[in-house]
Amino acid sequence: MEDIFGILLDINLTTRKTENIYISKRDIELFVGGRGLAMKVLYDRIKPGLDPFSEDNPLIFMSGTFSGLPIPSSSRTCVVTKSPLTSPKKSIFEKASTVSYSNIGGFFGPEIKFAGYEGIVITGKSPFPVYIKIEDNEVKIKDAGDFWGMKTDEFDNAFKKELGDNNFQTCYIGPAGEKKVAYASILHTAGRAAGRGGVGAVMGSKNLKAIAVKGTGMPNVKNPKEFNNLANKARAYFKGREATKYWREEGTAGALKSSSDKGSMAVKNYREGTFEQIENYDAKASREKIWKRDYACYQCQLSCKKSGVVVEGRFKGTIVHDSPEYETGTMVGSNLMLTEINDVMKAIYDGDDYGIDIISLGNTIGFLIEAKEKELIDINFLDGIDLKWNDIDSILSMIKKIADRDGIGDLASKGVKVLSEKIGKGSEKFAIHVKGQSLAAWNVHVNPGTGISYTTSNRGACHLNGGDVDRQNANALKDSLAICFFATGWGGFDTNQLIEFVNAITGSSWDENSFKKAGERIFNLEKMINIREGFTAEDDVLPERFYTEALSSGPKKGAILNRDEFAEKLLEYYKSRDWDISSSKPSEKKLKELSLDFLI
Amino acid sequence: MQQENNFSESRRDFIKNLFIGGGVTLALGNLSFTFFDSEKGIEKKVIICDFSKCTGCRTCETSCVAYNFATQDGFETYGIVNPKNANIRVNKFNPDLDIPATCAGCPDTPCINACPINVDRKTGEKALYLNKLTGAISVNVEECIGCGKCAKACETERVGVIRQNQESGKPEGLCTYCDGDPSCVKNCPYGALSYVKVDTNYEFFGKSPEQIAGILTERYYK
Repeated sequence: MEDIFGILLDINLTTRKTENIYISKRDIELFVGGRGLAMKVLYDRIKPGLDPFSEDNPLIFMSGTFSGLPIPSSSRTCVVTKSPLTSPKKSIFEKASTVSYSNIGGFFGPEIKFAGYEGIVITGKSPFPVYIKIEDNEVKIKDAGDFWGMKTDEFDNAFKKELGDNNFQTCYIGPAGEKKVAYASILHTAGRAAGRGGVGAVMGSKNLKAIAVKGTGMPNVKNPKEFNNLANKARAYFKGREATKYWREEGTAGALKSSSDKGSMAVKNYREGTFEQIENYDAKASREKIWKRDYACYQCQLSCKKSGVVVEGRFKGTIVHDSPEYETGTMVGSNLMLTEINDVMKAIYDGDDYGIDIISLGNTIGFLIEAKEKELIDINFLDGIDLKWNDIDSILSMIKKIADRDGIGDLASKGVKVLSEKIGKGSEKFAIHVKGQSLAAWNVHVNPGTGISYTTSNRGACHLNGGDVDRQNANALKDSLAICFFATGWGGFDTNQLIEFVNAITGSSWDENSFKKAGERIFNLEKMINIREGFTAEDDVLPERFYTEALSSGPKKGAILNRDEFAEKLLEYYKSRDWDISSSKPSEKKLKELSLDFLI
Repeated sequence: MQQENNFSESRRDFIKNLFIGGGVTLALGNLSFTFFDSEKGIEKKVIICDFSKCTGCRTCETSCVAYNFATQDGFETYGIVNPKNANIRVNKFNPDLDIPATCAGCPDTPCINACPINVDRKTGEKALYLNKLTGAISVNVEECIGCGKCAKACETERVGVIRQNQESGKPEGLCTYCDGDPSCVKNCPYGALSYVKVDTNYEFFGKSPEQIAGILTERYYK
């Protein structure tokens, strides 16, 4: 059989031309798939300083090495583009920004593989709203005028009807993406989102409402017999494990209570780390009051996702696609001091329905509430919205404003960094972002490792980045293999199991060192794209709040981040990466060692 | 939902032995060989789902294809399969529901009734027939003309599991019961599937995924 290293489906929405691009053997060997391979495509295609909303910015949906194969939890799809949300302190480029990657679980990546591709690369801009329909090698660009403006929940069903075939897997944006809210998300199956870094805004900038994929093929595997043995073992591996039970029973919501107890939760715009009322909507309460069923991604045995409905009160009947998760429950819950479960469910629902990243949304609204409380802004600045902690009505009004980019919503749609620059008056001290990307639901006071994860992430503040070099490299690789973090950490696959799969699938002979190197290479490639944009070590900074305002309540009362210790930790980090401590640029030696000579 | 799963090796061996006996199956057809009798329906078993346990992971689909299509174009597939080829299909709905659908084993076989091709006038066997050895609705591919009437009947009257092959129009998607030990049931990580006697009184018997989703949406999401 002929060696095929994968095909990228290239779609230009300006010219309406599509093309199959053969991926080079070397790119697959070096950048693997998923996040890594997509980053190489991004690097090859963008000029430094490119406007993220320009036609040339590619929006990439990439499957990974494991996609489409019967490996438990190998469901992830990585969406990569140049971020419309992030920015450096200084740059010669007006539109400088970081790379953006955001992962979705579900069924989309596997279907890309079934259709015969590693990934889909979309450039250009349609003059009118369109959707893309892919059936194996047949690609159609179709009018989406009827769907423009439609919220995601309604669209999910309407689009199925339009396609007339439930075998398509779809990704789509809501009104927020259409209007280019800088932190708009891309949704899949109504309850799964590639939330972070504004990937939905880039999709909207192309006038692209949705993509549908269906394929009849199967992925290529070099040593199928060996693969089959591993897959059979892997399927039995998760049975009866403590971790499996935990994910099934609690999902990520299990962390709501434990994180609050540890003081590591985002509460009141990150001012606090513990939320007394969290038991109102932790996993236990949600199981009792909201959740009706657990559901899973492709071939996954963990079913961490929970759906249900609000059964009482004024939001009765609100569908809960998957909430609270730890991130969503915290960011529009405790971070906005909401105490009632039904209010939290409604805020999450609306955010998803408009197609907004719930993390950035909760962070931005938290910032505005604090700014108003501190009288840096008034009710007129907020277009008459009396925005307050634990006030669902004003919070819902602000969500709508942001989605519509109406009045104050327009400014707030650009993210908390831009907001704080506009407001000034010292508000940047509690603008909780790194490089313009809002921090996620983990507070930093009690956990410097999380601080490292946020400051050094290549997409701006990211909780999934990893708190040290090894984890970051491993995570970059897992995002490239398309394996879920939940199936590879506690109670999941170990590195050796992943390596065995890689070798069976690709025919390579990786060992632990090759595994580490591949992740490190991908991480450094991303870093170099950011360096090219003008990012330096000056951009790897945490908000002042964590150094200056100790937690004032809860079991970790008094906890504060020690500035010198954290600076020392960051310094050690740069050294261990062999990055320059002021430019944060990887050394030539490091780039050569990683076969990244072309970046020198 | 408690169910018996007692299709034992010995019983399978017994059937096999009967078959080896040559012609015995037919001779015994009206006497004692009623395991898969479509009219009496007493021992016919099918796969049903406890929808409260199904998470929509689609492991049933991949397990089905791995077993039933172990070779493709002469090559072994080694479980590297496209789940859409499965004889059990997980139908997904919003609000979030996953409804695996497979042949309901209808005792009155609307699919066979709709088949216009009589293969054997003596026995009444058609191009679509009940395989008495496996209990599966099977296709005589030589005789089938790919008219799609069986698929239409299943779709309008029951579950709607029969698909027509894109080229030949011949029916696909019929459960084989994997020699009495269904691969999907065995491999479901959530224990949602079971292999049980056909029960026409079962709440969801013969219902389409859309109908079941309608019922469950009322139950879960209102």
